[in-house]
Amino acid sequence: MPKSMYVDPAEQFKKRKIKFKDIEVCAYDKTVADEKKNYSKEDLLGIYADMLAIREFESMLQTIKVNGNYNNKDFTYPGPSHLGIGEEATAVGQAYCLGVNDFIFGTHRSHHEVIAKGFSAIKKLSDDELNKIMEEYRNGETLKMVKEFSTATNAKDLAKDFFIFGLMTELFAKDCGFSRGLGGSMHAFFLPFGIFPNNAIVGGSGPIAAGVALFKKCNKKDGIVVANAGDGAAGRGPVFEAMNFAAMDQYTQLWEDGYNKGGLPIIFNFNNNHYGMGGQTRGETMAYGDLARLSAISEKQMEAERINGWNPLAVIDAYKRKIKAIKEGKGPILLDVVTYRIGGHSTSDVFSYRTPEETEAWKALDPIVTFPKQLLEAGVATEAELKAVEEAAAARNRRVFDVASDLTKCPYTDYEKNPHFLEDLMFSNQRVPKMEDRPVEYLEKKEDNERVKKIATLSRYYLDKNGKPVPKMKAYNIRDGLFEAIIDKYYEDPTLIAYGEDVRYWNGAFAVYRGLSEAMPYHRLFNSPISESAIIGTAVGYGMAGGRALVELMYGDFIGCAGDELFNQLAKWQSMSAGGLKMPVVVRIAVGAKYGAQHSQDWTSMCAHIPGLKVVFPVTPYDAKGMLATALNGTDPVLFFESQRIYDMPEMFVESGVPTESYEIPFGEAAIRKEGKDLTILTIGATLYRALDAAKILEEQYGISCEVIDARSIVPFNYETVLESVKKTGKILLASDACTRGSILNDIAQNITSMAFDYLDAPPAIVGAQNWITPAFEYDKEFFPQPSWFVDAVNEKLIPIPGYVSKKDYTNGENMRKQKKGV
Amino acid sequence: MATPVMMPKVGISVETCILTKWHKQKGDAVKAGEVLFTYETDKSTLDEAAPVDGTLLATFFAEDDVVPVMVNVAVIGNEGENIAEFAPAGEADEAPAAAPAAEAAPAAEAAPAAAAPVAEAKPREGFIAVSPRARVLAEKLGVDVRLATPTGAEGRVCENDIRTLAANGPVATKAAAGAFAGEAGTGIGGKFSTADIGKAAPAAAEAAAPAAAAPAYVDEKMPGIRKVIAKTMTTSLTTIPQLTHTTTFDATEIMGYRKKLKANAEALGLPNITVTDLIIYAVSRVLAKEEHRALNANLIDGDTMRYFTDVNIGLAVDTPRGLMVPTIVAANKMSLVEISEAAKELANACKKGDISPDKLSGASFTISNVGAFGIESFTPVINPPQTGILGVNSVMTRVREKDGQISTYQAMGLSLTYDHRALDGVPASKFLVDLKAMLENITILLAK
Repeated sequence: MPKSMYVDPAEQFKKRKIKFKDIEVCAYDKTVADEKKNYSKEDLLGIYADMLAIREFESMLQTIKVNGNYNNKDFTYPGPSHLGIGEEATAVGQAYCLGVNDFIFGTHRSHHEVIAKGFSAIKKLSDDELNKIMEEYRNGETLKMVKEFSTATNAKDLAKDFFIFGLMTELFAKDCGFSRGLGGSMHAFFLPFGIFPNNAIVGGSGPIAAGVALFKKCNKKDGIVVANAGDGAAGRGPVFEAMNFAAMDQYTQLWEDGYNKGGLPIIFNFNNNHYGMGGQTRGETMAYGDLARLSAISEKQMEAERINGWNPLAVIDAYKRKIKAIKEGKGPILLDVVTYRIGGHSTSDVFSYRTPEETEAWKALDPIVTFPKQLLEAGVATEAELKAVEEAAAARNRRVFDVASDLTKCPYTDYEKNPHFLEDLMFSNQRVPKMEDRPVEYLEKKEDNERVKKIATLSRYYLDKNGKPVPKMKAYNIRDGLFEAIIDKYYEDPTLIAYGEDVRYWNGAFAVYRGLSEAMPYHRLFNSPISESAIIGTAVGYGMAGGRALVELMYGDFIGCAGDELFNQLAKWQSMSAGGLKMPVVVRIAVGAKYGAQHSQDWTSMCAHIPGLKVVFPVTPYDAKGMLATALNGTDPVLFFESQRIYDMPEMFVESGVPTESYEIPFGEAAIRKEGKDLTILTIGATLYRALDAAKILEEQYGISCEVIDARSIVPFNYETVLESVKKTGKILLASDACTRGSILNDIAQNITSMAFDYLDAPPAIVGAQNWITPAFEYDKEFFPQPSWFVDAVNEKLIPIPGYVSKKDYTNGENMRKQKKGV
Repeated sequence: MATPVMMPKVGISVETCILTKWHKQKGDAVKAGEVLFTYETDKSTLDEAAPVDGTLLATFFAEDDVVPVMVNVAVIGNEGENIAEFAPAGEADEAPAAAPAAEAAPAAEAAPAAAAPVAEAKPREGFIAVSPRARVLAEKLGVDVRLATPTGAEGRVCENDIRTLAANGPVATKAAAGAFAGEAGTGIGGKFSTADIGKAAPAAAEAAAPAAAAPAYVDEKMPGIRKVIAKTMTTSLTTIPQLTHTTTFDATEIMGYRKKLKANAEALGLPNITVTDLIIYAVSRVLAKEEHRALNANLIDGDTMRYFTDVNIGLAVDTPRGLMVPTIVAANKMSLVEISEAAKELANACKKGDISPDKLSGASFTISNVGAFGIESFTPVINPPQTGILGVNSVMTRVREKDGQISTYQAMGLSLTYDHRALDGVPASKFLVDLKAMLENITILLAK
């Protein structure tokens, strides 16, 4: 909270009433006949044609799944099929109003939204633009395939064949799919047409879409973002977090001129089909009655409306008004779009939750039936013209299907021929120092910054010229290393933004950001709400849209609050898009120590388990600066762990001191901190310093020479350094502050055992934290690895020390007892 | 900084060598390139030169010691430099007293039991926990892990225990050999190896024979190579039912062809192609045929035939140290010129004594040519586990009758010894028939 905003007790205790605005419900009730003069015949027939294209596509999937056959050809596929039959008007009405630079996000049920937006973009792009997109996409390979079967005589028809082909083959998991089959039905998208990824996690798109809107706002990009969601998603916390994040007061009250016009440019579009799978939201699983009530989330009430999603003209009416409202600074917007899915949740739905009468009543109003009737009655089109539109839609779908279902023409990815296919897509591994090439915005010059000036006076090595330790206050520490990497990048990459809880003014809970509030404007450094899902989810969107985000989780324990965003979203989009998306997002995560069970956990192992994340844990000032620079220059998601125990640790290993200029340390390379010959100790995180203490005891008291290696990175990890050491010493002890069970140390130990079995003189010994909750700091020594634990483990597992009696029991019997007890 | 000198690893399969002679003594000045010591593998004798100039500060092994490869045997440096760090773990006692080498290895302190009297060493029975590192080292040093005293964690035999055993245990060292004096070991150079463990030690060593003014005879230990030959020949003749078929072939064509080659060698840039080369060439082609595979084979453990894809010819070479048999690998794929060059190179290396031990193994069949000595027929002895050996005899003038006319021709003798377990007399004879046909029509064969 900035000091400029006074919390007046008198104001807070004043007697008053909170009032809610009325929300319009289905206010628009016009027909084609009423609106005939406002639309061209081409527009109205186009709306019908697009609805039909969707219905034909979805009906095809229905018949494939149920009958194993379409267009007289036997075919099926094992992937999911959540169909939009009944929701066509909703999607087409929305897409009608959106420009190519307006982006949509969707859900597991989004084929209809994707097709509607794709066809809308095709109408709005020029022939030249379309041809360029098709020719550039996968170097024209897809276009070449399409030209072989397409009957199109113009660019727009060709683009429609191209688009349906890319979408359909993606669903069928073919190598020529838009994401090479790696996305599939629930994740189909096509960026050149403004279609961003759909999400199989209900509500998953909420924070991501807000992140793309944040990118548009912070970088002054045209267009709005539509986050499509179902009514079921209204029950998801991340969706609430995203709506609040999009509507935060600070956008209008604190952000600078040019950036303070309203909240984020986003429409939260709930396609309210009344069911979250089988649960009825209204009346059963939700409390809102009308979904539009959720607009109460902001003080002025999000501009919200409940509209008739079965009348495409009503949807268009609403969208025209809402897009205008966003441009006037009234975003974000909430739309409660009444619709109905005529089919099941999926093709395996047996309708245990609704009656045939209900379905029939809705079918009678099916826009695919009622809209052409209106066209006919209003004299917009003849029956023959309507028939021609219907036949064209069906013919296109069949034409594409015949090729898309053909295994010879559209084969699956050949993993035998290309065994590294997916492996190579897990990371983009690029180095892009700035995501956009334009001037950076700042409040003061870097050299005028007080923190920068202060750091210039610090000793960048822990000893002075005379070899005496520099007082901690005068020594450059890990905090300073992190700060330098961040401020260097701020003045280089104009898209870099940083946010998280209390990063501004408070400077982050551990003062890493001290000095940055004076240097950077709000739109580049701001406090987020206490919404971990939104913090990570918006960063995913921000990176996906082409920006670079540095976000913070104040404590590693809060990873759980952002579990989906870290593990399903941040980790997966680069590979699920077959490399189409980059993810230059760095998440700083501080591992606590002092505050008990929910503020002290090292969860690096859990993060390392998820494919697609780079996980690093530097513990020296030199590494903190160099590895954060590497993370901030890269295009991959990095979980950057820091230890709260050692933020004030000076540089003890690089004698020349931490360089003032920017430099990078490649991920994956372990560092030998101390050479030795009898025993190797490999540490992750802050245990390095306790390992060094232990090495001193082992060496000075027991004559055991230890080689201490700091892993630095967990994913990726190059085993060469540690293997070379183990081959020399024959013995290894691995240590980290993570709970021992399931710790990545076990994984590393297993790999070392496998890679250097014949060199081992004893099985690797593991020294980790207890498999308990973390007790209060007063009991720190009972829970986290201590130097004496290292000696005890060495004596028991690696090198018996004559006359030494271990205090901590590292015997196999004790281990078995604990494992049996589950502790 | 002093420089250690290691026992080199001169072949993939070489794990230990005998240090046969020190050419320099401790304290001597040495120059880089000067021969420091001579050592012997089970197949060759080689010299090791000093890598740097300096003083020979320490030698960790005595002459006749068996030394594991890649282990330091000496240190060269300046007077007064510390050499302790280079001392191999088990040989610390031979380092100068001032150098506390043993203290540098803390685990050794916990191993007093390792010095137990050797004669009492009994292998432990049942399951013995041995670290992988210790097991590998034990195999490398030829040490029986059952004799090691475990000092490792969780009662495991660890690396240090093997090093201690190797240094002090009933293997390889002079101390150990003394305890078994009089009884020959079967390891390389007659050293005790694991195979000897368990044999009863003689009650006492025989007293030396009384000195005499003019000895009637001299007892000399056989050099390593001689012992290997002795062992191999004994094994062959005592374990293999082998017999020899002898035949002759008309050498007119082969002699004529060789003559032509010799006359044109310079003009064509050819090496000196010998009769042996031509015979290797012919044999390699005949043996490559499926029907003769039993002779291009090894018989393993008396019940397994190892048939070779290529024909690897072992060529018997006489050297000052004794018989050596280098291998021409895949002779069936080589041209005559290539065979000739390979045979010469290998024979020269054997004679010089610097052949890599790797080139002395892997043969599938052996050829021994004693024709130059006028030998008309002999019984070559199989080099196990091979199944055959061809002896090549001298050329004799023979007569033959054709259409009532008596004429003379040059005949060359061939003696094939084969392992009757691997094949019978008929296939062996058929091989000679095929070979004979080939040799009598060598120019046609060469055209192929």
